[in-house]
Amino acid sequence: MRSAFLSFVVALAAWQASPALAQSDFVLPDGPGRNLVYGQCQTCHDLQSPIDSAGIPRDAWDAVLDNMKEYGLRITPEQRAKILDYLATYMGPKPPPKAAAAPAQPAEKTDGAQQFADVCAACHEPDAKGKKGKFPALAGNKDLFLSKDFPVKVVLYGLEGPIEVEGDKINNQMPPFDFLTDDEIAAAVNYVRSHFGNDKLAPAGFAEITPADVAAARKKAMSSAEVHALRKSLLK
Amino acid sequence: MRDQDTASGITRRKFGQIAGAAGLAAAASPAMIKAAMAATPDSAEIIVGKAPGLIIHNAKLAVMETPLSMLRKYKHTPKDILYNRFHFPHEGDAAWYASTAPAPADMVKNWTVRFGGLVQRSRTLTIADLEKRPQEQRVMVLQCAGNGRSYYAAKQKVAGGQWKNGGMGCVVWEGVPLKPLLDDLKMVPSSQAHWLTAEGWDQPGTPVGSDFAKSYHLADPALDHAIVALKMNGEPIPAQNGGPVRLVIPGFYGNMHMKLLTELNFTADQSNSAFQSMGYRMPLSPVEPGEFKANDYTIYNSVPTYGQKIKSVIFSPLPEDKPKAGMVEITGVAFNDGMGKITMVEVSADGGKTWMNADIAPAESPWAWYHWSVKAKLMGGKNELMCRATDDLGRSQPMDGLTRWNPRGYEWNGVDRVEITV
Repeated sequence: MRSAFLSFVVALAAWQASPALAQSDFVLPDGPGRNLVYGQCQTCHDLQSPIDSAGIPRDAWDAVLDNMKEYGLRITPEQRAKILDYLATYMGPKPPPKAAAAPAQPAEKTDGAQQFADVCAACHEPDAKGKKGKFPALAGNKDLFLSKDFPVKVVLYGLEGPIEVEGDKINNQMPPFDFLTDDEIAAAVNYVRSHFGNDKLAPAGFAEITPADVAAARKKAMSSAEVHALRKSLLK
Repeated sequence: MRDQDTASGITRRKFGQIAGAAGLAAAASPAMIKAAMAATPDSAEIIVGKAPGLIIHNAKLAVMETPLSMLRKYKHTPKDILYNRFHFPHEGDAAWYASTAPAPADMVKNWTVRFGGLVQRSRTLTIADLEKRPQEQRVMVLQCAGNGRSYYAAKQKVAGGQWKNGGMGCVVWEGVPLKPLLDDLKMVPSSQAHWLTAEGWDQPGTPVGSDFAKSYHLADPALDHAIVALKMNGEPIPAQNGGPVRLVIPGFYGNMHMKLLTELNFTADQSNSAFQSMGYRMPLSPVEPGEFKANDYTIYNSVPTYGQKIKSVIFSPLPEDKPKAGMVEITGVAFNDGMGKITMVEVSADGGKTWMNADIAPAESPWAWYHWSVKAKLMGGKNELMCRATDDLGRSQPMDGLTRWNPRGYEWNGVDRVEITV
């Protein structure tokens, strides 16, 4: 019994270390609109809330979204429609059966501005100014250029622990966003680095992130605490 | 299917940390592996000083309930196992309140509670000011309005934390009686003021989210017993429970007791906060799924979750006790809003075919748990235990709790049922 358990654990650990698979704390079923839910629904509570509510019908999810608006959710009607479709389908009373193989994501936009709006803005704010004491600003954030791929690692693995960004002291937890594709992460990082006044912060000759750079960063899995330690070492 | 002591989902990140540190399975002990496999963050990791093993409903908001096997051990629920729930993330400036310790000393020293609103003279009191006044105790059941929400799923599942019965405890509050305090402050409230509206220190997770405020009608008799509490279970209120100061209204559901109290205002109307005007409300008449939805509440068609509806819960035997066939003592608790005395707890061990009256120990206060017990015979196979409380105002629990289904899943008080297979 014990050896069977341990060999399961070994298998799980090997799977865990595999760079291609998600390290997110909560795994949502694959489907169109999933990234929006990841991006928009973790600002005030974690994903256990929608996951534990799975099975409610569409009109109840619709009411949940109205409810979330009272608590501060700000999304466009287009985003809302996509999120509602996702929740009503994959977390409704009759979710579609899981595909045998991970379904090829329909060519998700690699529009960096879109990625930012869908996935980053809920916490970092649409103007990238963040929320003092809670979510660091990305506008004017020198961390973006600590190393070529530091922001990529933050997106992939999250970041937790005390940091100070332009005088703002924050002790919080950014969850991992490793479910995003290499294309999406590259587009989002490049977008943030080149907008919100950050283009002025870029050291000369700082090259754009390519999807291959993101793939390379996935090879060595890190914990969000290790990303924090990396940040500390890069700041020296 | 979820068992009592673990939460849904596996934290792969957590597992990766532990497995990495331990050099995978070879060096990791089964206990470590079990801990890693068991859950999203454990309760002891979410709130400083919390016991491990509470059932987590949301780590980011520290929403957790107590397994009944833990809860039933104590007459007064200790702070380290008492259920918990924050409305806003305990991060950044707010990280301090995710702790069973009291609020930090410098915060307590500088804390003020402003009493004002539609008054001729507003007052500001410090904790030291409050401490100087005579204090009274209130032994009281603290219960989340959503406790039991999971049971509504038999009709239609309701979004939100899927609480079972562990979102409650019995605790001793101590503080300054509210009405004498308000009189003594001599603020001269306006005749236009019909409500008291309370606010606390905590702030929403986003700049545009609704703040948390609660309003109580000035004429509500429950306010006669309210206290501005400074202590819980004999020590300064833990930060997690709203310390340094919490408005406590015995008999009311948990959300009504304003944590981290900073303001108490006389107001003409109830607060516009979403947590008062839309959330934590019950429809005035029975509703059906699909016809009345979670955002259909208005101040005219619904009432806030004020007084707790009469309820009883079986504490033993529970399935994990694995009792044998034969005589067994069935025990549990009952409670209500304190407006009437609980005079009867009926218990069945055969799914409602036959009923016995349990012995009820005298309650410490009108708002505390009443402990009851009765001996019954367990047969081989399935035994459905049930309990139902009634008070001297004639209020009782519905045989079918689903008759009170509501789209936010509040105030579950159906007859409790525990299936024991011998």
